[in-house]
Amino acid sequence: MAASLSDLAGLVAGNLHLAPEFILVIFAFLILGISFAVKDRRMLGWLAAIPLVLALFLVSGMMGLLDMRLLGFSAFAGPVSSSLAGGALSVDLFSLLFKLVFLSVALLAVGTSMAFLTEKDRHVAEYYALMLIASAGMMVVASSQNLVPLFIGIEIASLSTFALTAFRKKDSRSAEAGMKYFIIGATSSAVLLYGMSILYGVSGTLDIARLSQRMGEAAWEPATIIGLSMVIAGFGFKMAAVPFHMWAPDVYEGSPSPVSVLLAAGSKKMAFAAAFKVFLVGLLAAKADLSFALAVVSVLTMTVGNIAALSQTSVKRMLAYSSIAQSGYILIAIAVGTKTALAGGLLHVLTHAFMKGGAFIAVAAVAQLLASEKLDAYKGLSRRAPFVAFCMAVFLLSLAGIPPLAGFWSKFVLFSGAVEAGRWGVWLALAGVLNSALSLYYYARVIKYMYVEEPTVEAPGTAPGAGPYTAVLAIALAAVVLVGLYPQPFIDLAVRAAGVLIP
Amino acid sequence: MVASDLPFLSLLIVLPLAGSLAVFFMPARWARWLALAFSLVPLVLSVYMYVLVWYDPAPAGAGYLSAESLHYYENSEWVPALGVSYTLGVDGLSLPLVFLTTLLSSLAIVFSWTESRRPKEYFGLMLVMEVGVIGVFMALDFFLFYIFWEVVLIPMYFLIGIWGGPRRDYAAIKFFIYTHVASVVMLLGIMGLYFQCQAVLGHATFSIIEISRVAPALSAGFQYVAFAALFFGFAAKMPSVPFHTWLPDAHVEAPTAGSVLLAGLLLKMGGYGLIRVALPILPAAAEAAVPVMVVLAVASIFYGALVCIAQNDLKKMVAYSSISHMGFVMLGAATLSPIGISAGVFQMFNHGLITAVLFMMCGVIHHSAGTREISRLGGLAQKIPAAAAVLLVGSLASLGLPGLCSFVSEFMVFYAAFVAFGAWMWLPVSAVALTAAYYLWAAQRALFGNFKLDLPEHEKGHLDDLHAHEAAALGVLLALIVFFGLFPSAVLDLANAASSAVAGLLGGG
Repeated sequence: MAASLSDLAGLVAGNLHLAPEFILVIFAFLILGISFAVKDRRMLGWLAAIPLVLALFLVSGMMGLLDMRLLGFSAFAGPVSSSLAGGALSVDLFSLLFKLVFLSVALLAVGTSMAFLTEKDRHVAEYYALMLIASAGMMVVASSQNLVPLFIGIEIASLSTFALTAFRKKDSRSAEAGMKYFIIGATSSAVLLYGMSILYGVSGTLDIARLSQRMGEAAWEPATIIGLSMVIAGFGFKMAAVPFHMWAPDVYEGSPSPVSVLLAAGSKKMAFAAAFKVFLVGLLAAKADLSFALAVVSVLTMTVGNIAALSQTSVKRMLAYSSIAQSGYILIAIAVGTKTALAGGLLHVLTHAFMKGGAFIAVAAVAQLLASEKLDAYKGLSRRAPFVAFCMAVFLLSLAGIPPLAGFWSKFVLFSGAVEAGRWGVWLALAGVLNSALSLYYYARVIKYMYVEEPTVEAPGTAPGAGPYTAVLAIALAAVVLVGLYPQPFIDLAVRAAGVLIP
Repeated sequence: MVASDLPFLSLLIVLPLAGSLAVFFMPARWARWLALAFSLVPLVLSVYMYVLVWYDPAPAGAGYLSAESLHYYENSEWVPALGVSYTLGVDGLSLPLVFLTTLLSSLAIVFSWTESRRPKEYFGLMLVMEVGVIGVFMALDFFLFYIFWEVVLIPMYFLIGIWGGPRRDYAAIKFFIYTHVASVVMLLGIMGLYFQCQAVLGHATFSIIEISRVAPALSAGFQYVAFAALFFGFAAKMPSVPFHTWLPDAHVEAPTAGSVLLAGLLLKMGGYGLIRVALPILPAAAEAAVPVMVVLAVASIFYGALVCIAQNDLKKMVAYSSISHMGFVMLGAATLSPIGISAGVFQMFNHGLITAVLFMMCGVIHHSAGTREISRLGGLAQKIPAAAAVLLVGSLASLGLPGLCSFVSEFMVFYAAFVAFGAWMWLPVSAVALTAAYYLWAAQRALFGNFKLDLPEHEKGHLDDLHAHEAAALGVLLALIVFFGLFPSAVLDLANAASSAVAGLLGGG
């Protein structure tokens, strides 16, 4: 007994840097357990927020953003770089940056949920628990150095989000979204897994770093190509890259808005965390062959996303398409594969989380206020809900890449990386810039509706208003403006995080 | 440098910005007073700066955009990783335009004193626009320049879209798309310069000062491409034929104060960009582009004037006359000579003062008579003599009557053009006759002759003449038009040193 206790102590001490994940999982079960006694929605929401704040605190400390020694947590003093679980997981700046994003997004989603859930919603405890577990799964993916935990992390996050998508099962759109997401998600996981197993067969290793070495030595066989294609397709589905994007608008539109926040700003970024590792480290040997194909996918993704967004009449659906376009920009980082481009990609993951997350929250607030997600409902919003309208305008302008907001800097670093890479990188950057200009049209249209047009739809008198959303909106707004006005530390951070993968 | 510890340039940006926030967040009944206060203080500051420099206009040192050649200069780091800095500077090219900006912003606020529709947004947006325009004239970092350039679009879009005329939707979106596409192309040019200069310098920088040292040595092929991108951005803003079609729509639909700022300030951004950035930084391309610029300038001068003759809407006529008058700016710049460039700056300054008067008068007449159609007006001088007199003086100033300011600048443009391009410059000179023709003809039809307007019974025989706040704004402008007509050196002394420096870089000095 004593021995096993000391084993446990050793286990805890050895894996201390995974504490954020453990905290999330523990609280998830705690919420499930406590829900038999506590039925208060708000209380459960706070219980879900506490572990996220704690984990955020630890992650920021491990990144070196907070002085942990001064605060008495010297074990978490950053910047941390440790290898755990026999090299299958690592906690470094790269993974921590993603964890920061996932936790922030989850916090925004939980905050939004507290305003969004009503007394009609049942299974609130399960809802929050699933959110925490999904976040933990995403964080595992960010830390993975091995294809097995990578895949397990993806599955943990996916299964949780399938259920979350269909949370309002009586709502036909939510149910449809859940079904669609489940089928596509399960299929793409299968494709991804199959591709990975073929790569394992070819290379004989699951370790991502060693995979690159073996792939370099191994001759190219048909099996390699099939395996690679399946991995690309699998990630393509998860990232909603064209031509694997069709599910995304339906799912993002049908999900409850806080879940859309989690999906678009969080779980999609998990796919990028995995893809960065697999393509830029694991498949480095194949980079020259892959990069042009990925560049084409990138341009297609941003263009198709933007063009489809142009004609949407539902703001939520428009945001879903714009999310596809934004994936296209981030794909530039994988296609180009230089350090600057990767830094830009990471920065864009960070900024996109806040601006897109914030925009979905604003949609939720408007839906609460006017019971509509249609563009028409946004007419004259600036006079009905000035703060929501203002936040929405800032998020949209940031998404369009208007300086000096957060989205501008990340795009700038990203496109600069493409230009620096030479060859067709310049054309990728040009495609990105032109697409950004195009996207401004549909973003600006929403702003026009909010500020220029006169209100038409009568607001239902009994609506609780957008008040409860104010706090979360303010957090996202603060992040977008802060990164916008003072980007230097964030750029530094992204460059150092990129240095973990590409020295 | 003028000895002073106050960060004048930052204040010129921060004050209107703070003012706009104050207007947005304070009660609506304070909006106009706050806006007036927060626009008057920058005006006083800029007049103070102007007078100090005018008193001793020679810069401390020679050169273009050196610490000595700038009268005011502020610099601090912003995003060193990307080479972005907060650099502001003012020399003789920009100081007149900075003064013009603060002046017209204040006067536009005074002129729209009685605006009752969503006044908070209205006056707040005016101040935001002042921030953007003044920032463009002061920024010496390409990045900052671009931000301010884009900032200007947003308030103008809303001013047209919310307070505009019946076709405001169309006009606002057209304005936005045209100028935004132009900005994006300009941005591409800037990015090209950024990356090329990064390769030469070894570090990333957006500093216009640093880039202006390095860029002239870049390969001619690259210079052509970059110049074409920048030129497109600036020419669409000026606007020059054939990129001008957004302008008449925007002007006709914009509210009066919006038109004043649009014609008075926004168009100047294009001319300023051409003279400040495109010419001196890419001299090889600029010299190669002279024929293009001359052709476009002459085409703009002629096209604008000819279209004006055919207009029946007074405001549309003034709008098209802007195209014609901005053509003079480009012609002056295209000479690449000190006199031509100084004349271009002076012409922009004068055009700002004069079109402000004319657009205000369009607003007054529309408000008072209910129409701007020249064919329906007539004999206004009998009913509203003061307004008619102001309109007449404004028209005379615009057509270049000696003694009023634009005579000097147009004369200088022609002089420089004759020296540079020779005798066939009689062509643009002859356009002056057209200008005189359309202004006098319009004045004759609208102001003199029989009173034609079909008024409703209850207000028979009564038209509102100038209101006090309108008269105040117009009075200041007319006084300045006369003043700068009699003392053109008040602007030219400032502009000359900087123009010579620009021309020196172009081999025309």
